[in-house]
Amino acid sequence: MATSVNTFTARRERLTELLMQVVAFMAALAFALGVGSLIILGYHDSPIAVYSAVVKFSFGSLDGFSRMLVIATPLIFSALAVSVCYKAAMFNIGVEGQYLVAMAVATIAAAHFGFLGVLQFPVVLVFAMIGGMGYAAIPAVLKVKTGAHEVVTTIMLNGVAVSLVAWALRGPLKFTDASGAFNVNLRSDLFPNSAMAPNLGHLLGVGTDVPLNLLLPIGIGCSALVWFLLKRTRLGYEARAVGSSPGSARAGGISIGAVQIKVFLISGALAGLVGMQQILGLNNYLPLNYEAGLGFTGIAVAFLGQNNPFGIIAAAIMWAVLSRGQDAILIETSVPVEIIIILQAILILTVVIAFQVAKRQIARRRLRLAGVQDQDFDDADEEAA
Amino acid sequence: MFSNLGNAFATAFEYFTIIYLTGLGGLFSERSGIVNIGLEGMMIIGTVSGAYGVVHWGPVGGLAFGFLCGALYALIHAAATVTFKVDHIVSGVVINLAAVGVARFLSQLWFGQATQSNPGEPHLHTLNIPLLSKLPWGLGAAFQNMSPMVIVAFLLVFPVSYLLYRTRFGLRLRSTGENPEATRSLGVAVAPIQYAAVMLSGALAGLAGAFLAFEVNDHWREGQTVGLGFIALAALILSNWDPKRLLGAAMLFGFAQAIPFWLNDAPIIRLLPPEFVRMIPYVVTIVAIAGFVGKVRPPAAAGRAYEGGSSL
Repeated sequence: MATSVNTFTARRERLTELLMQVVAFMAALAFALGVGSLIILGYHDSPIAVYSAVVKFSFGSLDGFSRMLVIATPLIFSALAVSVCYKAAMFNIGVEGQYLVAMAVATIAAAHFGFLGVLQFPVVLVFAMIGGMGYAAIPAVLKVKTGAHEVVTTIMLNGVAVSLVAWALRGPLKFTDASGAFNVNLRSDLFPNSAMAPNLGHLLGVGTDVPLNLLLPIGIGCSALVWFLLKRTRLGYEARAVGSSPGSARAGGISIGAVQIKVFLISGALAGLVGMQQILGLNNYLPLNYEAGLGFTGIAVAFLGQNNPFGIIAAAIMWAVLSRGQDAILIETSVPVEIIIILQAILILTVVIAFQVAKRQIARRRLRLAGVQDQDFDDADEEAA
Repeated sequence: MFSNLGNAFATAFEYFTIIYLTGLGGLFSERSGIVNIGLEGMMIIGTVSGAYGVVHWGPVGGLAFGFLCGALYALIHAAATVTFKVDHIVSGVVINLAAVGVARFLSQLWFGQATQSNPGEPHLHTLNIPLLSKLPWGLGAAFQNMSPMVIVAFLLVFPVSYLLYRTRFGLRLRSTGENPEATRSLGVAVAPIQYAAVMLSGALAGLAGAFLAFEVNDHWREGQTVGLGFIALAALILSNWDPKRLLGAAMLFGFAQAIPFWLNDAPIIRLLPPEFVRMIPYVVTIVAIAGFVGKVRPPAAAGRAYEGGSSL
C-alpha cells in the first residue's frame, strides 16, 4: 500500500511514526515519574531531590558511570535473548534458567582449561553459549514437536535449573582448592586470570578496581549482530515472517518449526552470556549465592527498548541507572528504596500500553494515507509491529 | 515405608487448593477470550495483601482482602488487553514482573520490611473430617487439622460449573471466548464481560495467594508462590478448560508438589539427590503439558484482540 507514495513522503512518514513512538515513550515516562512523585511527596520528600540524586549517582562521576555500565551489561544480553524470540512471536521466559545452566557449564571451562592461555576467555564464552543453547533446546523442541507452550515449559525449567546448579555446586563443580572447614559458602574452584574478562577500566581512566571489562563491548557487538541477523539475513526474514503472520510464512514455503528452533537456540546462546559478568567480571568463581532474576529483568528491558537491538542498549542503561539509584536513595533521602522498584514496575506497564496505543495510531494513519477505511486494519496492525 | 503418606496427602490438599482456585481464575479469564499468564503476579499480590488483611481483620478478612486486591490488580490486565488491545501474553508477563515490585513496596508500607511479614499470623479454625480422619496406616493425618478453605475449594466445582454452563452470564462468557463478533451481533456487550472475567480471575488468584500466605504458611515471604500460578495454568490446559476436569489436574499437580516435602525417603525417590527430588513438581508439569497439549482445544478466540465495539 505504501508503493503509491514516493520516497520522500515515505521517509517523512517514517519520521512522523518514529516521533509518535518517542512521544508515547515520553508520555509513559512522565506518567511513571508523576506517580513516583506523588509517592515521594507522601513521604514528605522532594521528588526533584530524589530524582536528581538517582541521576547524579550514575552520571556524576566516571566511577559511578562505569559501575552503572557494569550493571547494564548482563541486561543487554538478557534483553537481546528475549527480543530475538519475540520477533518470531515466541516468549523466552526461560532466559533465567538458561543463564544459570550456562554459568555452570562455563565454570567447567573456566576452572579447568587454564592451559589455553589467552584463548581461555573466548572458550569459556563458547561453553556458556553452548550451555544456554542446550537448555533452550528443551522448550524449543517441546514446542515444535508437542505444541507445549514455551511460557509454561520455560518457567518450569527455570525451577529445574536452580536445583541443577545447586546440585552441581555440591557435587561435580564443588571447590577442591580449600579445606571444607575454611569455606562456609559453597562455590566452585577459583578461576585463573586467563579465564577472566579483560578489564577495560584503564581506558576510561577509572582504574582496574571497577569491573568494567570486555563484556560491555561484546554486548554492544551482539546488539549489532542481532540487528544484522533480523534485518539482513534469510533466517531473520523468516523469523519475522513467522512472527507477524505464520499463515503467510507457511504458504511462502517457510518451515515454521525449523525457524522456531533456530531462533530459540540463538536466544539461548545470548542468554548463556548473561551470567558471565558475575563469574568472569565481578567474581572469579561461581558462588551458590549468585545473582538471580536477571532473566526476568531482561524481559522488562526488552519491552522498554521496544525489542529493538539498539533500543535495548538504551533501555538497559536506563534500568541500570534506576537500579543503582536505590543506593543513592538509601544514602541521600528519607524515601524507602522500594520507590525505585515500584517506579520500574509502573514504567514497564505504562510503556507497554503507550507503545501499543502508538502502534495502533500508526497503523490507522498508514491506512488513512493509503485511502483504506478503518474497518479492517487488523492486518495493518500486525505490520506495524 | 509410607509413614508420611497421610502428611503428604495433607500437603497435596493444600497445594491442590492453591492450584484449583488459581486455575478456576484462569478458566474464567480464558473462557472469555483473555489469556492470563499473569495469574502468578495476581497470586503474589494476594499473598502480601492477605498477610496484611489477616493481621487487621482476622482470617476471613485476610482472605477477602486478598480476593479484593487480586481483582484490583487484575484490572490492569483487563484494561491493557480489553481496552488498549495489548498482546495478552505481553501484558501477562508484565503483570508478573510488576507484581514483585508492587508486593515489595506494599510490604515496606505495611510491614516495615520489604520481603516478608512477621511470622505467627492467625489461621482459620481447622477441621477434622469425621470418619476419614480416623483412617489407619497414618492416612488419617491427611484429614486432620484441615483448613476449611480446602473443602471450600473442593466444593467450588459445583457453583462454578453451574455458573459457567447453566446461567446467562456463563453462556455469554463462553460465547465471547469462542466468537466475540457473533456475541456482539446478538446485542451482548463484549468488553464488560471480559472485564468481569479477568477481575474474577485476579480475585480467585488473590484468594489463593492469601490462603498460601497465612493458611499454608504463617506469614508473607517474597518468592512464596514458586511458580504455582504457572502450574495452575498448566493444570488449566490439561483440564481442557473445564472446572470438573480441572479438579483432577489440580490434584495431580498438588500431589507432585507434596513429593519433595514428604516422600523423599520413599523407594526409588530415595535414590535421587535431594536437588533432583525438588525438580519433581516442575518435571511432572512439563511432561503433563507436553503429553496432553495436542489433545485439548482452547477457547477459539483466546489471545485474540477483539476489534469491534470500542473506540480504540
